[in-house]
Amino acid sequence: MLRLTGSLSLVFLTLLSSTHAHHSYSFENTAIVRQVDLAGSLVQVVTTYAVKALEKDAKAYTIALSPNDKEKTSWLEAKVKGQQQALPVRDHGKERTNGYHLLDVELPKPLGLNETLNIVLETIQTHAAKPWPAAASQNDEQSLLFNTDLFVISPYQTLVQRSKLRSPTPRIVEFTEPKDLEAFTLDTPATKSGATITYGPFNNIPPSADENFLAKTQQPVSVQYMYDNPVLEVSSLKRAAEISHWGSNLNIQDEIRLRNGGPELKGHFSRLDHQAQAFYKRPSPHVIPGLSLHLPAGIRNTYFYDIIGNVSTSHLRVAPAPPKSLRSRTPQYSVLDLRPRYPLLGGWNYTFTLGWDSDLSDSAVYDSKTGKYIVKVPVMTLIPGAVVNKAEVTVILPEGATDVDFSLPWPAVSTSSSTVTTYLDTTGRPALTFVYERLTTKHDGDIYVSYKVPFSAHLKKPTAVATAFMGLFVLTLIGRRINLSLHPSKTA
Amino acid sequence: MSTAYPLPSGLSPATVTNTASLIRIVTLALISGAAIASRLFAVINFESIIHEFDPWFNFRATKVLASQGFYEFWNWFDPTAWYPLGRVVGGTIYPGLMATSGVIYNILHALNLPVDIRNICVLLAPGFSALTAWATYMFTKELKDESAGLLAAAFIGIAPGYISRSVAGSYDNEAIAIFLLMFTFYCWIKALKQGSAFFGMLAGVFYFYMVAAWGGYAFITNMIPLHALTLILMGRFTSRLYVGYSSWYAIGTLASMQVPFVGFQPVKTSEHMAALGVFGLLQIIAFAQLVRSHLSSKQFQNLLFVAVIGSGILGSLAIVGLTYKGWIAPWTGRFYSLWDTGYAKKYIPIIASVSEHQPTAWPSFFMDLQLLMFLFPAGVFLCFKQLRDEHVFVIIYAVVGSYFAGVMVRLMLTLTPVVCVSAAVALSTLLDTYIDPVEPLVPEEAAPPASGDDSTTTSASGSKKAKKPAAGPSEPTTAQSTPKPRSRPGIFGLDARLVVIFNAFGMLSFFVFHCTWVTSNAYSSPSVVLASANPDGSQHIIDDFREAYYWLRQNTPETSVVMSWWDYGYQIAGMADRPTLVDNNTWNNTHIATVGKAMSSTEEVAYPILRKHDVDYVLVIFGGLIGYSGDDINKFLWMVRIAQGVWPDEIQEPNYFTPHGEYRVDDQASTTMKNSLMYKMSYYRFAELFGGGQAMDRVRNQAMPKQGPTLDYLDEAFTSENWIVRIFQVKKEDLLGRDLKSANAFSQGKKRKRSKPTTRRRAMV
Repeated sequence: MLRLTGSLSLVFLTLLSSTHAHHSYSFENTAIVRQVDLAGSLVQVVTTYAVKALEKDAKAYTIALSPNDKEKTSWLEAKVKGQQQALPVRDHGKERTNGYHLLDVELPKPLGLNETLNIVLETIQTHAAKPWPAAASQNDEQSLLFNTDLFVISPYQTLVQRSKLRSPTPRIVEFTEPKDLEAFTLDTPATKSGATITYGPFNNIPPSADENFLAKTQQPVSVQYMYDNPVLEVSSLKRAAEISHWGSNLNIQDEIRLRNGGPELKGHFSRLDHQAQAFYKRPSPHVIPGLSLHLPAGIRNTYFYDIIGNVSTSHLRVAPAPPKSLRSRTPQYSVLDLRPRYPLLGGWNYTFTLGWDSDLSDSAVYDSKTGKYIVKVPVMTLIPGAVVNKAEVTVILPEGATDVDFSLPWPAVSTSSSTVTTYLDTTGRPALTFVYERLTTKHDGDIYVSYKVPFSAHLKKPTAVATAFMGLFVLTLIGRRINLSLHPSKTA
Repeated sequence: MSTAYPLPSGLSPATVTNTASLIRIVTLALISGAAIASRLFAVINFESIIHEFDPWFNFRATKVLASQGFYEFWNWFDPTAWYPLGRVVGGTIYPGLMATSGVIYNILHALNLPVDIRNICVLLAPGFSALTAWATYMFTKELKDESAGLLAAAFIGIAPGYISRSVAGSYDNEAIAIFLLMFTFYCWIKALKQGSAFFGMLAGVFYFYMVAAWGGYAFITNMIPLHALTLILMGRFTSRLYVGYSSWYAIGTLASMQVPFVGFQPVKTSEHMAALGVFGLLQIIAFAQLVRSHLSSKQFQNLLFVAVIGSGILGSLAIVGLTYKGWIAPWTGRFYSLWDTGYAKKYIPIIASVSEHQPTAWPSFFMDLQLLMFLFPAGVFLCFKQLRDEHVFVIIYAVVGSYFAGVMVRLMLTLTPVVCVSAAVALSTLLDTYIDPVEPLVPEEAAPPASGDDSTTTSASGSKKAKKPAAGPSEPTTAQSTPKPRSRPGIFGLDARLVVIFNAFGMLSFFVFHCTWVTSNAYSSPSVVLASANPDGSQHIIDDFREAYYWLRQNTPETSVVMSWWDYGYQIAGMADRPTLVDNNTWNNTHIATVGKAMSSTEEVAYPILRKHDVDYVLVIFGGLIGYSGDDINKFLWMVRIAQGVWPDEIQEPNYFTPHGEYRVDDQASTTMKNSLMYKMSYYRFAELFGGGQAMDRVRNQAMPKQGPTLDYLDEAFTSENWIVRIFQVKKEDLLGRDLKSANAFSQGKKRKRSKPTTRRRAMV
């Protein structure tokens, strides 16, 4: 993640002095290939840097991102080509005034002089493609517009670079033909073949993470393409995971605000046209009739409702929980065919709540060495192709849990703890809340929370209930034996 | 002493009483359980949802109460209802229901039981039905004995006549009102029997609760005075009556005036005058009694004669005079319609248009009460046989309740408790007689000649006489201790007993089946959600209402005003959370008539009305596609009638019929009908749905014309999946100042008619 906590960026501020050293060109890019997979809410950008070291013992390679890219990118991973291991990436933190942003990628081992390496930078950009035209009527098609910069910028000299923009369909409405590029290429700078538009190859590009270059040579390019799937957007997601040791139950409840991020509906919704489209099996590309969600296997008591009650239009197919030994090999899941009350047309909203119970033993273990429970809570249920603008994950621990510790798959925007009081609690349950922004399908991680529950805490609830009933009985006992009659002689 | 079947011997009386009381408690608990369980069909078949129309308002008000506290609720002004008038909710409702749920909600939350307010509201009625069963038990116990009480509790627990208004989700005033009614009556009877000011006060307090909860409190307001008056006329004035009535009336009336919606009505309106009059009469009689104890009887006779006549004339003159001067409000229309069933249809079509205000059909008596209907007269008859004060009460209640139940369907509800009580008395008497093990003594010495004679007399008057000793409050023991060989009739043998008892149990079990069937089939539909069956027999839910309401809630600006017929006002406010023009609180006839006029006029006439009321969306219910018969076209004539009441020159009901007097929507429909906004909105683009085929309206079974209506001043904004709810957006005025019709024609490329300018030119030449 690019968003780093304050403490981390402080560390990098101290490293600022060293970043100036990069201007002495310790590397050279022999080739840069950027491949953009155009889609709806999420656009995947894979940039491959073929790197040659110009110095001995080069430990860190610096990647530059334009402010535009930096703002849109919500997930980022650097690897050596062909390897699974992700390389540690350090953010310089502060946005530079001269319009670019630097990241240090730590190399697996220092490169010797003239040694080469292929570094693959994979990023997911959210909200990068916007509906264009911004409004479409129900029977219209949907086209999106993607804006980016022509050159991949780098603080180093680049020998050759090209950008490939791959659209999901070959129907590309329009793309920019860049001009004034005689310094870099003699061919046509942009070519379209099938669903792919290629910019470049461009030769001998000077270090482009540079004010002068950005102002004079860099230029924006845009592609308008047809997109046949709806653009899904989750405006907000609130997940609450409640752990109960008494019921051996993990309850997960999501409050989801769904929005169709496609072109706004022009005019009005006509049910007749919608039914005609369904009848002729030509569904409109920007209408969301429903979603199919993969929930964990072996869940119980699944519920799906909105503010005014059950949504009667959804179906759930539950898969039984597989035995633990097989779990890693055959991932199983229950499928929820989730249909909102009405089809979502462009710009329409729908809010709903989705929740289920699952066995606590499926996601919790007891560590007898430390005497702690460790519970795994997934950050979110993936909604394919959707971006989650804001997510708030709350983990509610059992009453009386102590020594709470957690580890996050990636840092949260904010973390807070609170106390939640629910069914027959006396002191309340500790709860941890993590806030995330712009989650994508790549953010498929788990939050691990560990805590201790003393035996006495387990007994809190039965004790409280028993005391209350005892009190009630005692009061009744006393009440039955008190005679408030004004004429005691009569009743006696 | 011979018995028909062996009795266990050697039981101490204490064991018997303890066992009996344990069995009673367990039985009452089971009855409560059954009462609650039989009301849960709606939750099980559908979901935990608020039903129908009024409950949605109650639910919304309760949410305000629960979230913002009682004082906010008390002062709540709702600007979204009756747009643009708004509604002072706190002063125009009976807050008892919401306050009850609010208290329950707060108690549960204080105990850290975060139960959703919706679930409290949904389950309030079943919960209170268990209390009703208990109150009915207490009431009937006073009338006869515990076993009759248990039977009455069981009856009221499952009688469809009461279930119809108290299934889970039917969150309406009646849900708690019947409990309050029965408990007030119980306290009243108890106060009367014991002359207890304490029970009189309790009756007053529960009367106050009832006043705060339901407009039907007027029933108690008149029942108790009527009972008191009857007792006086029967010469049964006692100090117990005086104490009971006075404490009830004083406390109850003062307390009831604290409800803002009631205010000074108890001393100003005709409905409450009876209670006041009887209160005065009681004072006079009590005073007379006092005087009598100090005077000789001759003097007293004369004084009484003069005083009674004089005060009677003065009192009625005063009431008439005050009514005439306007100090006492005359009876309201709703009340008149109780006496003259044709009144409402003539003068207040709004009241007549509500289906539950229609006179009751005979089958619905059977459907709601079944077996009880036949036991009811027997029970009333048995009350006549004893005729203690409380029996007089039941008799009056039975007569009054039967009359009202015949007038209005919804008043079946007030009849049901007394039917249950009387039926329980009758059945319990029957069972007492036939379960009683004591065989009648047969005089053996005079056997051969007298036996034939004896048996004929017993069989002739057997049933009558048999009940007499059994119905008494302390039967078998006293009967045994004083055996009168010749006069004690009874049942011989076990077989005769078993035949009758089996029959009775057979009927009772049929009653249970009937109740269950009626409850699950007729009374458990939320009406917000409709059920139908898939081809494979599984349940298919038609959820169009919520679909459309939720669409409004999520995808329109919060301030957009929705116009619909008043039936849907509360639902739109509750589910869509949008301002409405009119709703189910039908206090402003003109406003409703305005909506009726807009719906029944042409687009050109309706458009200025819509614009003046800032209407953004118009919502209509259309059942023609799937055959949902409760739609707006079927209600349309009521809109026409109500509008006609206010604008008789512009809207005329006969114009909406064909020349043959038929109500048609196909191509034979009258022009007025075809041009009305309601017709146009309902059938807009309907025929296109059938492709080239013949479009059929499945509710009215009429073939629709191929060329459907067109709309110039409205746009179709949303139509639900089965076309039940259709929402239209009102267009804004044309930017170029044209009228929307010609603007529409222009944008469709139609040529403007040139007829008028040419004639003018010709005229100039």
